[in-house]
Amino acid sequence: MTNAALAYLSAGLGAGIAIIGVGIGIGQLVAAALEASSRQPETMGDMRTTMIIGAALIEGAAFFALVICILLAVK
Amino acid sequence: MNADTHSTPAEQPQPSHTDSTHNATAAMAGAASGGHDAHGASHDVPPEQVFNHLLGELGDHHGFVLFGHVADLPIMLVDNGFHAYASPAKMEEAGVFTMHKGHPVRKADMKPPQLDLSITNYVMFQWFAFVVLAAIGFFVAGKYKKNPKKAPSGLQNMIETVVVYLRDEVVYPNVKGAAGVRLLPYFITLFFSILLMNLFGLIPGAHTATGAIGVTAGLAIIAFLVINYTAIRESGIGAWFHHLLGGAPIGLAPIMIPIEFMSLFIKPFVLTMRLFANMTAGHIVLLAFVGLIFFFRSIAVAPASVAFSVFIYFLELLAVFLQAYIFTMLTAVFTGMAIGDHAHDEVHGEHH
Repeated sequence: MTNAALAYLSAGLGAGIAIIGVGIGIGQLVAAALEASSRQPETMGDMRTTMIIGAALIEGAAFFALVICILLAVK
Repeated sequence: MNADTHSTPAEQPQPSHTDSTHNATAAMAGAASGGHDAHGASHDVPPEQVFNHLLGELGDHHGFVLFGHVADLPIMLVDNGFHAYASPAKMEEAGVFTMHKGHPVRKADMKPPQLDLSITNYVMFQWFAFVVLAAIGFFVAGKYKKNPKKAPSGLQNMIETVVVYLRDEVVYPNVKGAAGVRLLPYFITLFFSILLMNLFGLIPGAHTATGAIGVTAGLAIIAFLVINYTAIRESGIGAWFHHLLGGAPIGLAPIMIPIEFMSLFIKPFVLTMRLFANMTAGHIVLLAFVGLIFFFRSIAVAPASVAFSVFIYFLELLAVFLQAYIFTMLTAVFTGMAIGDHAHDEVHGEHH
């Protein structure tokens, strides 16, 4: 396989693998938030904010991997 | 010819399509039919390369493009001396530099100049955001000055809600004491400028200024300076070095100091990447979905593609607000962490 083909292939694989981690992470985060707010409904508002912030931070990590994959694909 | 069948579905009046596809579709129609002025130069792009061409559209231009070529922007280069040209055409005339793949290069050896300070598309949109922010700021402040006792309404109300939220939930809880009061204008400006720059990118035909890593890196560098300057000013330089230990016993210093020192630089870098990638990725996904119509070369894909594009557009809208908030909040948290807790237990005079 040529270098370019390898680069494209690895870019695709890399993006896919990065998303696995993010999916698991955010899934656990939301599950924990839901369970906690079912135990204590009055904290639901605060928890929602924290959950969204946590999700954005985890997604930020996914985007680092995505940027590396995009660099691989276009260069 | 292929070009004609492409243009017809894309160029019809589109009441059912959202604005988000207008941006990409207009550019695509231009690319596919060739010779459209939307790119400031006539390209005849074969349909297979439409996506790559559009990905290039996400980058920077030296012409002010908004639904079409509005004006040529000046090019300013530093290369053993300052060169300024009023437009890319004039630069070609002068003969020292020439455009190569959209960037000015020295004609002699096809290398980029030492420093490219041109006013490009991104710079124009950044200035737009700043001008709008200044206008809103002066307008609202004027209203407060005229009748300070009147209950706010309209734009004033909206700005006040956001400012009060930022002050009470983001800045004061994290940056305690006098530093919080002093830095509050910086945080509010930061939040609103990032928000406006991101929002302008959502307008079809416009570019996201924060989608350029230079812009986000600049914001992060300023945040870095603010964090460290505030830390040194509030707690003294001894405490700043003490933070490098990170609260561990002094025996662990050889491990802790390099790590903490690196984290000083990694935190702003992470801020940069998060904002940049969020903004650019949204646009890339949008382009990909609309590009499906062209890859399959049939209009049957259009409804599903447009539906997905609308969904992604709303997701991007959420991301715009969220990322502005997160950038501001993280800067506040880092500043609070850098100031540390002990500075406020004792009298300030003892530290300086």
